[in-house]
Amino acid sequence: MTPLLRSVRMRLTLWHAAVLTVIVCAFSAGIFFFVRVRLFDDLDAHLGRDLATIEATYREAPTELSEAESRAGIKLFEVTERNGVLYRTEEWAQRGLDRSVRSDSATTSSWRSPDGQTYRVLVAPYPTHRISLAADETALHRTLWTLGVILALGIPCAMALAIAGGWFLAGRVLAPVGAMAERARRITADSLGERLPIENPDDEFGGLATVFNETLARLQDSFERLRRFTADASHELRTPLTAMRSVGEVALHDSLDPAAYRDVIGSMLEEVERLTALVESLLTLTRVDSRRTQLAREVVDLGTIAANATEHLRVLADEKEQTLRVEADDAVSVECDPALLRQGVVNLVDNAIKYTQRNGNIRVAVRMLRSGEAAIEVKDDGPGIARIHHERIFERFYRVDSGRSRSDGGLGLGLAIARSTVEANGGRIEVESEEGRGSVFRILLPSRS
Amino acid sequence: MRILVVEDEPKVANALSGGLTAERYDVRVASTGEEAFFLVNEDSFDLVLLDLMLPRRDGLEILAALRKRGVHTPVLILTAKDTVEDRVQGLDSGADDYLVKPFAFPELLARVRALLRRGRTEQPLKLRHDDLEMDLVTRKVARGAQVLELTGKEYEILEYLMRHQGRVVSREMLAHDVWQVSARATPLDNVIDVTIARLRRKVDDTSAKKLIRTIRGVGFVLGGEMR
Repeated sequence: MTPLLRSVRMRLTLWHAAVLTVIVCAFSAGIFFFVRVRLFDDLDAHLGRDLATIEATYREAPTELSEAESRAGIKLFEVTERNGVLYRTEEWAQRGLDRSVRSDSATTSSWRSPDGQTYRVLVAPYPTHRISLAADETALHRTLWTLGVILALGIPCAMALAIAGGWFLAGRVLAPVGAMAERARRITADSLGERLPIENPDDEFGGLATVFNETLARLQDSFERLRRFTADASHELRTPLTAMRSVGEVALHDSLDPAAYRDVIGSMLEEVERLTALVESLLTLTRVDSRRTQLAREVVDLGTIAANATEHLRVLADEKEQTLRVEADDAVSVECDPALLRQGVVNLVDNAIKYTQRNGNIRVAVRMLRSGEAAIEVKDDGPGIARIHHERIFERFYRVDSGRSRSDGGLGLGLAIARSTVEANGGRIEVESEEGRGSVFRILLPSRS
Repeated sequence: MRILVVEDEPKVANALSGGLTAERYDVRVASTGEEAFFLVNEDSFDLVLLDLMLPRRDGLEILAALRKRGVHTPVLILTAKDTVEDRVQGLDSGADDYLVKPFAFPELLARVRALLRRGRTEQPLKLRHDDLEMDLVTRKVARGAQVLELTGKEYEILEYLMRHQGRVVSREMLAHDVWQVSARATPLDNVIDVTIARLRRKVDDTSAKKLIRTIRGVGFVLGGEMR
């Protein structure tokens, strides 16, 4: 395609003109043939009336036929009887029309004389005689020719007008697209707050702009979250780095005995472990979210996964003298990546153990819901979570109590990882909790049925 | 035992060289792929530690070239890339083992020993350290005359520590070899610490001589003196 044809405006215009041309051509052809038929009908009717006059004259007084020529002005006819021509007008003879009559049956037809003239010839046989008469078609053909010329000149003019009009209209209709493109071109990662103008939200372009704006809003939101995440991650990395640095600098400054040095190095190595764990968690999260790891798809019993994950952490609950029970309905099977899902469940149970007081109760229940979803619930009677935190609790690095973060609050990634693993398996995760009344974390997965 | 360390980052190369020399290995360091290729052809080594991201020639390229020339020296890959595909690619190129950076030095030593020991494993029926005795057939553990009641995981950890007695065992090694978890999820560290604490109560609480020690920031060790 040439560049010009690639523009929607041009294509719209050409389509418009082409369709209009076809319509005008068809319409013109219709008119032409209609007029032609009508003109011939008129001529034939005229010939019929003349025939009646001649016939009446023949019946009353065959010798008076010249009267029909002179008084009625019928210039082209002849009347023949069995034994020869009874009457023939002068012009009939002059124009050689006797050669136009080639049969004795009743016909009305066009005849072209040797000198190029066309005549409408009517032949009417009667038992005793035959009347033939003719009319010159020249005037009729001239009329048709004029009509043809008018139409032939009119169609290109109409086409030119259609193209011009189409170009103008298409330009007007497409103007908002140009404006939108112009605005969209200026939007970058730094100006995601800008929106496209919407002239009329109900028309197609308004709809397009609305959808585009919604996409922009989502993009802006994820950019915002990414920015916050990067800032949070940097902060989390900075904390152990600071600890390592100050511990190292102080130790270097003083002369210590070997045991004290060992202690300093051990302390630094602890921070290294923390950094390693943080980086590993972030990598896990990134991989699960970007679906870089191929998900295994296996049909597994949810009860087995829950029991397995719980047993894994039982020593932690034992240590805090908490009761940790698993209650599973029989045969709740889902299709998922078992290792990934297990990690999510482990994180939820670990959280419950961590935040529930000594001697508390934790219950892991696996049930088939009436909605047809399979659910794993991790319920504790710990301190609960205030409602304002519910929405953000699954975000990375979000901590309910920012003060207790480092010593026993972990990395702040456990619930984020749990959510990612569940969502990667096509499920969702929710929290139900009130302050002082414990919490329920629920994993919901589409069941296999 | 001669070990070739192929590593372009001088700090890491020095640390590896120092740590391995202290374990009485004979260590040579190559900082580029070409140098490594030259040294392997020139000299004979019992093991190669190969960093994957080398200047100019990629570690995997070197490895493939060596294997093509019929060099069968065991190769342990050290790398920061740890996706499953990376591992598979490394092992496909002819590596014998794969260790992800940052690694714990005790784990590196354990892998090195395993690779060097390959082909001549002895299967003892009993493990013994000081007055602690473990019967691998009956799974009975006793300290002196006192029989110890251990849970499954406690038994496995103790067996692991006894097999590596005198050497430091890191949390990564326990996660990998006892719990069989390759990607380290954070909760596991707590589980390991708690299980070790319980094991220690059973093994050491009744005796004056403490056998299991924690090396801060590194891991755990059964017996042995710190160097």
